[in-house]
Amino acid sequence: MIADWSHETVLAATILSWFIIGAGLAQTTIYLLQLVVAGYALSKRPPVARSALLWQRYGDVAPPIALLVPAYNEELNVVESVHSMLALEYPNFEVIVINDGSKDETLLRLIEAFRLVKFHRPYEEALAHKPIRGLYSSPMTERLFVVDKENGGKADAQNAGINVCRAPLFCVIDGDSILEPDALMRAAQPFIDDPERTIAVGGTIRIANGSSIEAGRVREVRLPRRLLPLLQVVEYLRAFLMARLAWSRINTLMLVSGAFGMFRRAEVVAVGGFTKGSMGEDLDLVIKLHRHMRDKKRKYRMQFIPEPVCWTEAPETLSVLARQRTRWQRGALECFFRYRAMLFNPRYGRIGFLGFGHIFIVDVLGPVAEVLGYVLIPAFWLLGILSAEYLLAFTSLIFTYGVCVSVCSLILEEAELQRFPRARDLAVLTAVAVIENFGYRQLNNFWRVKGWWQFLRADQSWGEMTRTGLGGAKK
Amino acid sequence: MWYIWNLSISLSVLSLVIMLFLIARRVLQERRSKAAADQRRQLLTALIAFSENRDREALKAAILSVPAGVAINAGFEFISLLRGEEHDDVLAAFNECGLPALVGRQLNRGNGAERIHAAEMLAALRSEGAVASLLSALDHDHSREVRIAVAIALCDLGSLPPLGIALRKIGVAGQRSRRLIELFRRFPPARLHELADHAARTDAMPFIRAAAIDALARAGGFGFADLFARLAGDGSPEVAAAALRALGLTGHADAPAILASATANGNWDVRAAAADAAGRLGLSELAPPLSRLMDDEVWTVRYAAANALRSFGQPGERLLREMASSEVSRSQRTASLILAEGPAL
Repeated sequence: MIADWSHETVLAATILSWFIIGAGLAQTTIYLLQLVVAGYALSKRPPVARSALLWQRYGDVAPPIALLVPAYNEELNVVESVHSMLALEYPNFEVIVINDGSKDETLLRLIEAFRLVKFHRPYEEALAHKPIRGLYSSPMTERLFVVDKENGGKADAQNAGINVCRAPLFCVIDGDSILEPDALMRAAQPFIDDPERTIAVGGTIRIANGSSIEAGRVREVRLPRRLLPLLQVVEYLRAFLMARLAWSRINTLMLVSGAFGMFRRAEVVAVGGFTKGSMGEDLDLVIKLHRHMRDKKRKYRMQFIPEPVCWTEAPETLSVLARQRTRWQRGALECFFRYRAMLFNPRYGRIGFLGFGHIFIVDVLGPVAEVLGYVLIPAFWLLGILSAEYLLAFTSLIFTYGVCVSVCSLILEEAELQRFPRARDLAVLTAVAVIENFGYRQLNNFWRVKGWWQFLRADQSWGEMTRTGLGGAKK
Repeated sequence: MWYIWNLSISLSVLSLVIMLFLIARRVLQERRSKAAADQRRQLLTALIAFSENRDREALKAAILSVPAGVAINAGFEFISLLRGEEHDDVLAAFNECGLPALVGRQLNRGNGAERIHAAEMLAALRSEGAVASLLSALDHDHSREVRIAVAIALCDLGSLPPLGIALRKIGVAGQRSRRLIELFRRFPPARLHELADHAARTDAMPFIRAAAIDALARAGGFGFADLFARLAGDGSPEVAAAALRALGLTGHADAPAILASATANGNWDVRAAAADAAGRLGLSELAPPLSRLMDDEVWTVRYAAANALRSFGQPGERLLREMASSEVSRSQRTASLILAEGPAL
């Protein structure tokens, strides 16, 4: 049947198929490499103490930390979130809530709950941000400060918090997330073990949907009851336990999540803080830090450690998830093209080759090649332009290797961490790791291509993130 | 192309088989962990009962009735809550039941976390063979975190080798850890001179020297003031800043001259430490150099200088007010901010 088509047509189809399969192969190779490195990293990771021993061991030498919590229209959850943050187990920390010009009663709720009073606190105007309308402190606790400022977005709010904080380390966390009580102590450990070189540490984000939450604490870990967040559990496992752990092991970590990341203040100030208006402000900051430290030829480490856990709420509807994923894609593309000079640039070593190479293959080429493949490869085969070999190769790349990578992430989790409490959970997640490759993965790639399109059209809308709230209230 | 397909099928099937094996293993673990939780509860109940009745034989029977691993973990956490005679009695019961031998084995064979925990437990149990096991681990353990924990345990037992040797055994990579600050703070008074010798060594790592100075300032006090005064002019900014902070705690006859000179240092950390020390010591004669620091390019230095001036009482406040009402400048802005600090009126 191939003979029925002109040589040029077959050649064009073959080249296009090789591009699609090549991109898939490159992506799969990266994932398999990450699995191997992540497995090695987990086996070699520093000793992990039980929570009860942490305070005794590190309490006296733990550096002060400022917890920065940007809040925009968070009136439903903000008081409970702040209560839970104030109850964290760490010897020396302050909580700085930045009310980013909320249109609802976020500030009023805080004023009422913590009897806030206006306060003058000298601070360094190291980073630019929208004007601060007032600083508040609480007579109930010395640990809490609230910054009320004009709306400028998450990065702008975080920059204001960095200016106001006095601790040498700061930790960014989303206002609607929940930190495990020992999360700060665990995240601070690299800053204790290697204080000169460590400049950033990221922890694990886990999905709280379905778990039982009381008084701002996750009391019982359970899997989500709905399919969409369940699929995201496996996705997060892959992202954190495989990708970040692997790149962290070879000091090529490209992302410390904005939902939970700890940074050394001096270096963040030196790179100008978070980039305002960025769709991926967390990715952007980490790239800036890499560039800065390499330009200055300073030794440094940015680490991901799996133990400190921050719980977040995953989108439960397709429309909200689609908005989130297109925004993430725009953020990745924005950072890639903003710092494209670092790609394969020997000056930036493994950051330029591995870190940026990963973004190039997985985020820039990956979704476009894969979505093209969904349409073209079966079409070429059906039309008789290409043989079944091509179809099988493509099928294996998008389905069977996908199953292998997802299940292997789960194997790493179970072999080394065992954070899912029941054997039944593991069985469910194994099934999910298989089925996510049949529909969900394709949907995700479609959203990412949509993100590409929005990026090309310079669409800067953030998109409304409707959440049901970890406490259960709609917002 | 077929090999891509074949390999993918093989890898997927293999991963699923491994996962099924892990699920089966978890089912077994769940059963065992329920039993361990019951045993732990049983031992803790016996320990609480011992607090009331002091029946050591009953406690020993309870310890021996549960697996040694459970006894060690539950017991250690309980022991850390006890003090005095009761603490010693529980320790004696644990020692008589032979638990230190098991902890010693854990120090050799456990994973990293278990080995660190074992070192801490050996220090707490104070058994006969503890020092020998710990010294062996300091020599042979391949993890620097474990070696640091072992050094701390040995220090608690009064058997840490000479500091130079201990640091060499901990290794260069381990000498960047803040856990060494913890080790230095536990040094007994009779061995503080070792810290002093190390702080004075210009070939040692600045981080270690600074940590030693910090520990000496807390534990040794004025006895080491001359050393701090000498090290305040050290070539390493980290060491000089630590020495200045120490001087701020101990004081020294030459402190005014040393601090005045340090306010002109090229490193901002040293200038900030000098300002901070001047404030702590209340050296109001240093107001002129501190006023100059109010115009420093680094906020931390300006803030430290302003706080120091404020700590001088009325004369310092007067200076700050004068600056605050002068022409707009860095020092004027810093003075205004410092004077406004506190609840808004």
